[in-house]
Amino acid sequence: MGSMTPLFDDEYTDLPLKRALAQVLKSREAGAKVVGAYCSYAPVELVWAMGGVPAVLCAFSNASIPKAEETLPVNLCPLIKSSYGFIELKTCPFFEVTDAVVGETTCDGKKKMFELIEKKRPLHVLDLPQCPTREGAVEYWRHSINGFKKFLETSFDTVIGNEALEGAIRDTNRKNALVEKILAFGGQRPAVITWQEMYDVTTYAMVSNGEETVAKLEEIVAILAERREKRVFTSPEGAKRVLITGCPVGGDVLKVLKLVDEEGAAIVGLDSCTGLKAFAGRIEEGSGDPLMAIAKRYLEIPCACMTPNTGRMEVLKEQVDLLKPDLVIDLVLQSCHTYNVEAVKVESLVRNELGTNYLKIVTDFSSQDLGQLKTRIGAALEMC
Amino acid sequence: MDADTFEVTERFRGATSIDLASQLAGIRESYSWDAIASTGYGRFLSQKVLGGEAATEIKAYATAAHRFHREIGTVIDLGGQDTKVLSIDRNNGQLLKFEMNDKCSAGTGKFFEMMAATLGLTLDELVAAALRGERSFEINSTCTVFAESEVISLLTSGRSVEDIARAVHESLLVKLVSLLSRILTADSASVLFVGGGARNGTLVKFLADALAKEVVVPEYPDFFGAYGAAMVAKNSLMRLG
Repeated sequence: MGSMTPLFDDEYTDLPLKRALAQVLKSREAGAKVVGAYCSYAPVELVWAMGGVPAVLCAFSNASIPKAEETLPVNLCPLIKSSYGFIELKTCPFFEVTDAVVGETTCDGKKKMFELIEKKRPLHVLDLPQCPTREGAVEYWRHSINGFKKFLETSFDTVIGNEALEGAIRDTNRKNALVEKILAFGGQRPAVITWQEMYDVTTYAMVSNGEETVAKLEEIVAILAERREKRVFTSPEGAKRVLITGCPVGGDVLKVLKLVDEEGAAIVGLDSCTGLKAFAGRIEEGSGDPLMAIAKRYLEIPCACMTPNTGRMEVLKEQVDLLKPDLVIDLVLQSCHTYNVEAVKVESLVRNELGTNYLKIVTDFSSQDLGQLKTRIGAALEMC
Repeated sequence: MDADTFEVTERFRGATSIDLASQLAGIRESYSWDAIASTGYGRFLSQKVLGGEAATEIKAYATAAHRFHREIGTVIDLGGQDTKVLSIDRNNGQLLKFEMNDKCSAGTGKFFEMMAATLGLTLDELVAAALRGERSFEINSTCTVFAESEVISLLTSGRSVEDIARAVHESLLVKLVSLLSRILTADSASVLFVGGGARNGTLVKFLADALAKEVVVPEYPDFFGAYGAAMVAKNSLMRLG
């Protein structure tokens, strides 16, 4: 492993968020407005189209939770508490450089939290329909996205034209195809890409766009192809393979992924909003109605807030088929009711239909349950 | 354990101490073995000092259960800091599924220890008192800390120690049955109960009544994980030839 070419050869080794911040600041210095987002449903093409840059806001640290708990209930999703705590403490460097923030109504806790931060920044909350297959859902979602467009145009005294939107759509499609291609290297056995590298790529790609980004991602594809050809592996032959699904992961909840590493297994896929989900699927190009094309793609994101959420089961089937994991870990953040309940269906699919081992973990950002998690993950891997 | 006969040659129980590493070093000096495996929460420290391999207690219990009680597919382990239930394929010993309590101590052996201390009893006295008690009220608090103050106020309101001890047992029983309901199948006639908690005869009786199933407790339930680890070590020895 000594001769392995790193995917990113820069000063941000092991610091994907600092790399992302540098990207955002670079765009900002060049005059781009920074629009903070919390969720994969935020249609960032509108931000790119107006010459802005999206910034994924901090939400994954236990350190900001005590501050949040001065105001918010303790029994709430750690992601929401952490986001709020960061804003109160002014310790999220991304939030500090935002000119506006976009939220969405994916979950009850989040949408009420947004009400508490609305004075901090110009804020727009997108109303997301949650029965995506119902008649009128996509039209209503287009209407919501149009509201966001008007918000951006008013806030920044600009006009977002169809041509600029089409350009942003093409950029997204090129970028997403490359990210998908990179994540698909997880299917190699033994592995040629680590979860830290996948996380590096997705964190970078969320805040980057255009030719430079495409060139960087193509370079990464070439590095991975070279590893495959030269048989340079990131995990030992025979290492057990793990696919992580469920809630978004990052920061302190990466403890679960690190415990998998400690057990000598290889994480071969991240099927969540901080992994594949944000980059899967394409937006129709040249449709004549770019807002509708954007609306259709975003409404296909298989988040557990949707009902029915059949897309998640389809993606899981494809991912298990591609990555061939020995174990699927369904990671649920405490108080995330939708992922917690949907786990029943996911478990049934994974165990009964796909014949793969399954472990559900409900956790938060604290380190209180590390000992127990180590036993659970260890035992689940021993079963494989 | 003798690898040929599965006879236990010696059981050694050490008190929990703050200097586990030197206790383990003592074991290293006094014993010899062909193969060794460590299990439980201290397994990695033990492995570091003694060598050999480490196995989770879940694997250890499943391995021992299939060796000694092949006809039983469901295992409960009630330990000091957590509770586990296991579902095992009776044909091949494969672990099918397991569930654990959440990170709270209320469903574990620790709950009994704390309640006994609150009532001013030893653990054995608590267990004996519960058997004499009537089932006349419930402990409402699901948290060990709040249950402690609830028990104190029950005492001051004149409830008998026996009835309170009974309610303490019932409180844990509800959690145990709920955890079991996630894996128990209709065709399981009996369950195997291991871990230190299985030495509580009153709880064993209550559990059998609640499940309407036979509850089997091995002779040394608190050594059951150690047997399993010994078998894991033996299996490795055989694999290596």
